[in-house]
Amino acid sequence: MKGKVNIKEFNDHVILYPDNYINDIEGDKLDYMCDYLLKKGIKKFVIDFSGTELINSIGISILIGIIEKVKRHKGVVLFSGLRKVNQNIFNIVGLTKYVPIYRTEREAVDELRGNSVAMK
Amino acid sequence: MEREVIFSVCPDNEFFGREREMEYISGRIRNSFKPSFGMYLLGRRWIGKTEVLRRIYHRLFWESSEPVPVYYRFRDYYGTEGFAEDYIKEVVKQYIAFTRRDPYIARDDISLDKLERLVVKCGLNRIGGLIERHREIKKSGDTITAIKNAVSVPRILTQGGPPVLLILDDFDLTERIALYRGGPSIARELMEGLSGKGMLFLAGSTRRTILEDVAFCFPMEVMELKGLDEDTSISMMVEMCREYEVDFDTEIHRFASKKLSGNPMYIKNIVWASRRTGRNLLTLKDFVDLYVAELIEGNIGYLFRSTFAFRGMLEPMVLNTCMDLPGGVSVDELVERLPCGQEELKEVLAGLADSGLVEDDCGIIRWTGDEVQKDFVSYIHETGVNGKTPEEATTFIVCRNLKDGFNFQGIRIHGKVREEVSELIKGFNGQGVFKILFNNGEFSRRYRDGRFLAGEDEEKITLPQIAGYFNTSRLEIGENGPPIIIAHGFQNDRYDAGNEVIWIVGIKETLSKVHVGDVENFIRRSHILRQNFRPLRTVKWIIGREGFTQEALERMELEGIYSSDATQLDIIKGILRDGREETLFVPVKEFEVVLPSSRKAELVAVRAVEEIGEEMGFDEDSVDQIKTAVVEACINAFEHSRIKSGKVRVRFVDGRDRLVIYIQNSGVDFRPSFVLNSSGRMNGKVLHKRGWGIELMKNLMDEVRFEELKGGTRIVMVKYLKKG
Repeated sequence: MKGKVNIKEFNDHVILYPDNYINDIEGDKLDYMCDYLLKKGIKKFVIDFSGTELINSIGISILIGIIEKVKRHKGVVLFSGLRKVNQNIFNIVGLTKYVPIYRTEREAVDELRGNSVAMK
Repeated sequence: MEREVIFSVCPDNEFFGREREMEYISGRIRNSFKPSFGMYLLGRRWIGKTEVLRRIYHRLFWESSEPVPVYYRFRDYYGTEGFAEDYIKEVVKQYIAFTRRDPYIARDDISLDKLERLVVKCGLNRIGGLIERHREIKKSGDTITAIKNAVSVPRILTQGGPPVLLILDDFDLTERIALYRGGPSIARELMEGLSGKGMLFLAGSTRRTILEDVAFCFPMEVMELKGLDEDTSISMMVEMCREYEVDFDTEIHRFASKKLSGNPMYIKNIVWASRRTGRNLLTLKDFVDLYVAELIEGNIGYLFRSTFAFRGMLEPMVLNTCMDLPGGVSVDELVERLPCGQEELKEVLAGLADSGLVEDDCGIIRWTGDEVQKDFVSYIHETGVNGKTPEEATTFIVCRNLKDGFNFQGIRIHGKVREEVSELIKGFNGQGVFKILFNNGEFSRRYRDGRFLAGEDEEKITLPQIAGYFNTSRLEIGENGPPIIIAHGFQNDRYDAGNEVIWIVGIKETLSKVHVGDVENFIRRSHILRQNFRPLRTVKWIIGREGFTQEALERMELEGIYSSDATQLDIIKGILRDGREETLFVPVKEFEVVLPSSRKAELVAVRAVEEIGEEMGFDEDSVDQIKTAVVEACINAFEHSRIKSGKVRVRFVDGRDRLVIYIQNSGVDFRPSFVLNSSGRMNGKVLHKRGWGIELMKNLMDEVRFEELKGGTRIVMVKYLKKG
């Protein structure tokens, strides 16, 4: 494994906590972790960015790749805890059209458990 | 099995921006827990409803075990009997095609006899009776019973097997199929047939009014399919231009996206026309010329002519009146204004409403067409009613669109520069200013690292004392080109006729350099404008936000026209504000960090700018935006550095009301990464996987510009402090 990403793993979903700065290195770690979890059969992901101050464009491209990958596996990704600037840059690149964003990790998890994400 | 296309759809690489709607509809179909499901997809003509409906059909056909999808497109040229038979054939053959996963059956233009044999072969005895019944009713000529029999087919199929999802395209055409000669339309019978338990349908239509007619039968969800949003439209144009090898400028795409209302059919036709005629989409004129040609004699015009089929001049007259009155106009008022009677008008209005160009809201007629249709109607009106020649009418439409385009570019991109220049000119009061600040070629050679070192004998010019200024829109009706400001004043502290002077100032606010065409346009216009004024002395000045091409500078030098870019303008502004030249060249506070080529080195610059930004009084969100922009600029600078171990210099200049950040490498231009990087695709929608850096910087900062230096490139980013 290339590096560690903090995660909370539940029966059918996982919460990932990326680092303070998502660049190529941190993005690769997330990507690797998602691959690993998808292989384990996990298909529901919450990525909580409350500990993330900065995301650069390489990090964004890796996040796009992760979302595509999860969608290919018929899975779902939710984002939570985004700073205003990071939500803004996700808007600019068009990611917010594909990934529901929740204020807190709790709200995202509640949504997953309610199983109504596919309709968002 | 290979997924064959059953109903034709456009190539995947030309299908954009409907994933969200398709996901939602698919989700609603999948998760529908109610005993029935009805959804109405509402949208303008050619907005992409058929494409969405057919793609939903294909998705269900190839990916689901149920419901059984049946796609049916209404046509207004069938009579009632013709419709009944066609409907039965389509529903039954598509049902069989799905259960056997045989697309050939769905595509086959099957006869009733052959269908009967197929039904027997498949053991669908309950349907065999309905077909037989249809034959008998047909002989008797009882159209009402024929319709009731036909619409019962999906229900009978659902009762004995998996549910059927009827995908009904062009549903509003049901209004044109009468139940019997002179009778009401079949819409109500059809909806009654769909309202049974377990019935599922998805209907597409252009008109909302049909909903009001049938809503009583069945509670249903309405989804409105609008034009593609700006980003998606631009992505679509970019991808198509690349596919068809058309050169383009995304700023032009941005205007095109607005003009074309995000309508995929219009967008495709413009790019195809561009390919066909060998014209690129690099300038506003390129787009407007192509657009107007396409509208008048191209595919779009052909489609409009065949769809709207105006029978006389009353239709364009009605439409033109409605276009002029956005609040709507009553039928009585139309009768007063136009040469027609009430009955004739009603007939015309019904046709126009069918075409989706107007709506009748309780007797108030409103224009409901889009901007492109508006131009088309204007053209017809100008030629047919106002008696203009086709050339004159074309010119009229071209001028109107060029004007819109210039306004859009000015407002959208940097309307601020014009205001800044106006303010600046107002402050002209006999100050002495280095002449080099009005000579961009010389200035570019001598301006280094945010400083210009003036010599002891540096030549100066004396600014006039300005009495008043105004823009030239009143004097230049119908004229196109960048805005021009006229400033009227006196020189040498003498308020007499001999010292009167006018400054004619052209401003190019867009993100491209002033080129020789802009200069020629300015010379021509200023020559005409000059004739409106008495003073003998005229000073001409062009301000180009992004600088000038060499050819333009040479032409301006020949004509004695002053030239200034954004940096020169800032310095002049500083001189007028502070009254001391040196304060302009030595910033109040300046910080510099040199970053080594190592991982996360950009975070050093981030920490520095965080401190500086907070100290200057930027709020937290602005500081966050600056930090992200700095990260992007730094990683771009490293990525494009010629030398692997090259350093990146980052300089922060606290300019009181703004923070200016210079990021310089020793490499090549940063910009190609934005244009050339590969793109990714998500469910058919293009998201650029890389190359977002510059777009992010431009969105997060107030100004971003690129300067080519000897042996490197520099990004200059500016963030203004918001007052109050």
